[in-house]
Amino acid sequence: MQLNPSEISDLIKKKIENFDVSVEAHTEGTVVSITDGIITVHGLSEAMQGEMLEFPGNTFGMALNLERDSVGVVMLGAYQHISEGDTVKCTGKILEVPVGEALLGRVVDGLGNPIDGKGAVETTETSPVEKIAPGVIARQSVDQPVQLGLKSIDSMIPVGRGQRELIIGDRQTGKTAIAIDAIINQKGTGVKCIYVAIGQKRSSVANVVRKLEEHDALAHTIIVTATASEAAALQFIAPYTGCSMGEFFRDKGEDALIIYDDLTKQAWAYRQMSLLLRRPPGREAYPGDVFYIHSRLLERASRINAAEVEKLTGGKVKGKTGSLTALPIIETQGGDVSAFVPTNVISITDGQIFLESDLFNSGIRPAVNAGLSVSRVGGAAQTKIIKKLGGGIRLDLAQYRELAAFAQFASDLDESTRKQIERGQRVTELMKQDQYSPMSVAEMGVSLHAANEGFLDDLDVAKVRDFEAALQSYMKSEAADLMQKINDTGDYGDEIKKGIQSAIETFIKTSSW
Amino acid sequence: MSELSTLARPYAEAVFKIAVESKSTSDWSEMLEFLSAVMQDKEMVAIVRNPKVSQEQLTTLIMDICQEQVKEQSASFVKLLVQNERLILAPQISELFEAYKAEHEGYVDVELTSAYALTKEEQKKFATTLKKQLGKDVKITTSIDKSLLGGYIAKAGDKVIDGSVKGQLQQLAKKL
Repeated sequence: MQLNPSEISDLIKKKIENFDVSVEAHTEGTVVSITDGIITVHGLSEAMQGEMLEFPGNTFGMALNLERDSVGVVMLGAYQHISEGDTVKCTGKILEVPVGEALLGRVVDGLGNPIDGKGAVETTETSPVEKIAPGVIARQSVDQPVQLGLKSIDSMIPVGRGQRELIIGDRQTGKTAIAIDAIINQKGTGVKCIYVAIGQKRSSVANVVRKLEEHDALAHTIIVTATASEAAALQFIAPYTGCSMGEFFRDKGEDALIIYDDLTKQAWAYRQMSLLLRRPPGREAYPGDVFYIHSRLLERASRINAAEVEKLTGGKVKGKTGSLTALPIIETQGGDVSAFVPTNVISITDGQIFLESDLFNSGIRPAVNAGLSVSRVGGAAQTKIIKKLGGGIRLDLAQYRELAAFAQFASDLDESTRKQIERGQRVTELMKQDQYSPMSVAEMGVSLHAANEGFLDDLDVAKVRDFEAALQSYMKSEAADLMQKINDTGDYGDEIKKGIQSAIETFIKTSSW
Repeated sequence: MSELSTLARPYAEAVFKIAVESKSTSDWSEMLEFLSAVMQDKEMVAIVRNPKVSQEQLTTLIMDICQEQVKEQSASFVKLLVQNERLILAPQISELFEAYKAEHEGYVDVELTSAYALTKEEQKKFATTLKKQLGKDVKITTSIDKSLLGGYIAKAGDKVIDGSVKGQLQQLAKKL
């Protein structure tokens, strides 16, 4: 865009004319010591917990330790130019970040400043990063699904709007891949997505942005990043920043999905800050309130009822509920879910998707462990068709797991056991899904129906995925109306059941794969 | 600095209570000011910190320096500081003592910095307006700082009222 010089000078002129010459009253203090991003300030007797403090050179810090004669401040950004004896001003404000529709499609840092080179964010609204979660009266139970687009998850571990579902697993097990697929699958559903990258490599974040752009999914997504090289305070703040941006949509009666990738790193950043602030260390050297930093964050993901939305929008939006669904990610070390932070977050969330390296390495991707993964509230939100068909899949896999272990030793098995094992193998094969190819409800329904009705039983295990691909493309071209109907209603009545059944039968007769 | 004043607080509190009881706050204030001036001397600090100097030697030295400044009670206070190895805190104790004194007597010390020298009348005006704002009597000490360009800055403890042209320009710069 070309900038007109006169325009700028006009703007500046206006700003100067409107400039309110006021006498500024504030509280001041002096810098006493500077160590590893923690600054001790003498004075500031009126500083609030979490208040923004202004340092020379337009840099800011957050007051965290309030002591009798001094305040412990963590710096948000570079602090190299600050020296002992500098004056520090109170701003009287708790940390706030910009929120609004204008942030969609943008990449911002932990304080909401754009870092994608697309210019300023055109929004006037701001929101404090730390807010109290909606109260008991404001809430509504979870009864609408968020389709993540992955067969194995949507059928067995469904996620509802307003739910908190943990994605947990070792490094390199496809945690982020699930999150990205979930974002891509929200295209066209009206669900706004927020991806918060905490303590990651900049190259990984750039990769995510590029992938989302490629799949046309950046337009409904806000990316908040606090990469590994940024100040610990920013890595700590970033999830709250993203949450405030998501709450903006929730509070005006829309649905949003937020992904925290990952909260282990946030806990590390908080541990670093706390130790430098000389707070007493506890288990694994985490401070005493490490549970609270996660519980207060995840409690803000919720579904609120129409009355609350009406109240929050001042009566502008009526009869609409709002939701913020959270998919926090936790990285475990060597599959140890009983470490401190993983157990904390497992107990806070409404279920977890457990990913395993062994499954991942044996080619089962997404590497979901169906036995250990649960969803405590999602069942109520599942689409009818997926709910009916998913039950069978879950059962098949559970029986298969039980038998598979001892079947390795037995040479001759009875007929029913052999059948169960073979069904299990085929269902496991069917649950595999490529990255960046989320499926619609109808597509999933067809695949699951084929497994439930035994169409896969006669196939070679290696042929299952080819069969599925061919079936999907056949359904797409020959039974588009039926698919559309399933997607619209989500029903699994007799008519639809028969429709799918006959379509698959003709497909088997007429096609090869 | 902050930790030192935490350590100095109980001493200042105790001394202030004694001073109020014996109605000799100004004597104590003078004495503490003198002691803090002594303790700000570099050589003096070196001597106090030197472990080879015994407590008796130190006491006699301080008493020699202070001479008439210290009377019965203040002498025992100095001895106590020597015994507890807290002589180094004298400046902080003095500072806190002054703060207690100001609070007790119901006034605040205000540092008024202006770009140009203020006339007596102007000072009076400031005193009355500041009294209204802070709700206490004010004791004004003035200084001149040309870099403010115009206007004034009033400092009362942590509180700063910035009415200088420099501050306003900084605000404007931030807005642009």
